[in-house]
Amino acid sequence: MTIQTNTGKDCARAWEIMPWVLQTTAAPEQREWLMHHLAQCEACSGEFAQQSRLRCALSLPTDIPVDAERGLKRLLERLDAPEPYATPVRRWSSGNRLTRALAAAVVLQAIGIGALGVRLWSDQAPRYRTLSQPALLEPAGALRVVPATGMKLADWNKLLHELGLRVIDGPNGVGAYAVVPIEPASSSASALRRLRADRDIRLAEPVDNTP
Amino acid sequence: MNESTSDVDSRDRILLQRMAAGDRAALETLYRAYHGVLCRFLSRLTRRADLIEEIANDCFWIAWRKAGSFHGDSRVSTWIMGIAYRCGLKALRQRGDEPVDDYALHEGRGPSHDPDEDRELRDWLGEGLKHLSADQRIVVELVYGVGNSLEEVAAIMQAPVGTVKARLFHARIKLRNVLPILAGDPPAQRENRS
Repeated sequence: MTIQTNTGKDCARAWEIMPWVLQTTAAPEQREWLMHHLAQCEACSGEFAQQSRLRCALSLPTDIPVDAERGLKRLLERLDAPEPYATPVRRWSSGNRLTRALAAAVVLQAIGIGALGVRLWSDQAPRYRTLSQPALLEPAGALRVVPATGMKLADWNKLLHELGLRVIDGPNGVGAYAVVPIEPASSSASALRRLRADRDIRLAEPVDNTP
Repeated sequence: MNESTSDVDSRDRILLQRMAAGDRAALETLYRAYHGVLCRFLSRLTRRADLIEEIANDCFWIAWRKAGSFHGDSRVSTWIMGIAYRCGLKALRQRGDEPVDDYALHEGRGPSHDPDEDRELRDWLGEGLKHLSADQRIVVELVYGVGNSLEEVAAIMQAPVGTVKARLFHARIKLRNVLPILAGDPPAQRENRS
């Protein structure tokens, strides 16, 4: 169909309302206008004839044989069937697929967290500890030191710094600290002597000798 | 809506009320009343008779269960066709099928007692519909076959009215270009409207 420029608007309007005139849902004045236009426009008249034929063809019963009574019988049997059979949601719907995917993600996360937990559980001892935790096995050369009650923290720190010592444990129940040389190669014997000579140190002795 | 459509809808609403109360006779009446139009509608999605019957039964199974929740926002027929459309798409998805896109593959199954004129018209239609997408076939069926408005088609397909309008437009353009040739008319100079 060729749409002429001077009648383009009318043809477009005719095109728009054809289905509704065929349905008989168009307003009477629309139908009247269309009939008038069709009488003047051969192209739209041909189009309308084709649309009418299309509507006739689409109104024919389906060519696929589906027995209504047999279908109804099956439906009634389905209504009487136990719920699992009766439900039409027999397979995964799109919504269920989403639920399934989310559930799978949660399961995967749970497995991952579990595996991580097992690994952490079986891993080596933590690389840090707090001084309030139970005492570790002190390494060789460690000294047990009990500072005087009145010793200032600054003096304690200064003494340890001068002797090249660091605290690895304590204080325990009696206020004793375990200290070791910062440099593993250095001897703790001289440090022990100086600790014992310090008036603010009440006790200093090698851990190895501790009963 | 004309008078007869209104009468039909009033009848259907009463049937739904009876179904909601557990009246199976009402279900049987509604089933028989809609079976033909429903099967023709579903045949635009699939050409398998067993699948059409299954989808139709899924549709009425849901209608039976949900009859009490029908609030009358639309015509009963629109409500039922919407359920059938969704059941159809779901059934095809579950089988990994797509709505039939090659209409010609499934043609030629008409009953032998089909009058010649109807057969010719059916063949003509089948040749035209094979050029449309499934969504376009559904829109054409609902507008020309069932007689739904654009708003009703939008409600059935759960799509914006503009989308439905576009589908109808493109379907008509394709059919306009194809059907006259099938009818033996000389091809004319055609142009798309916008």
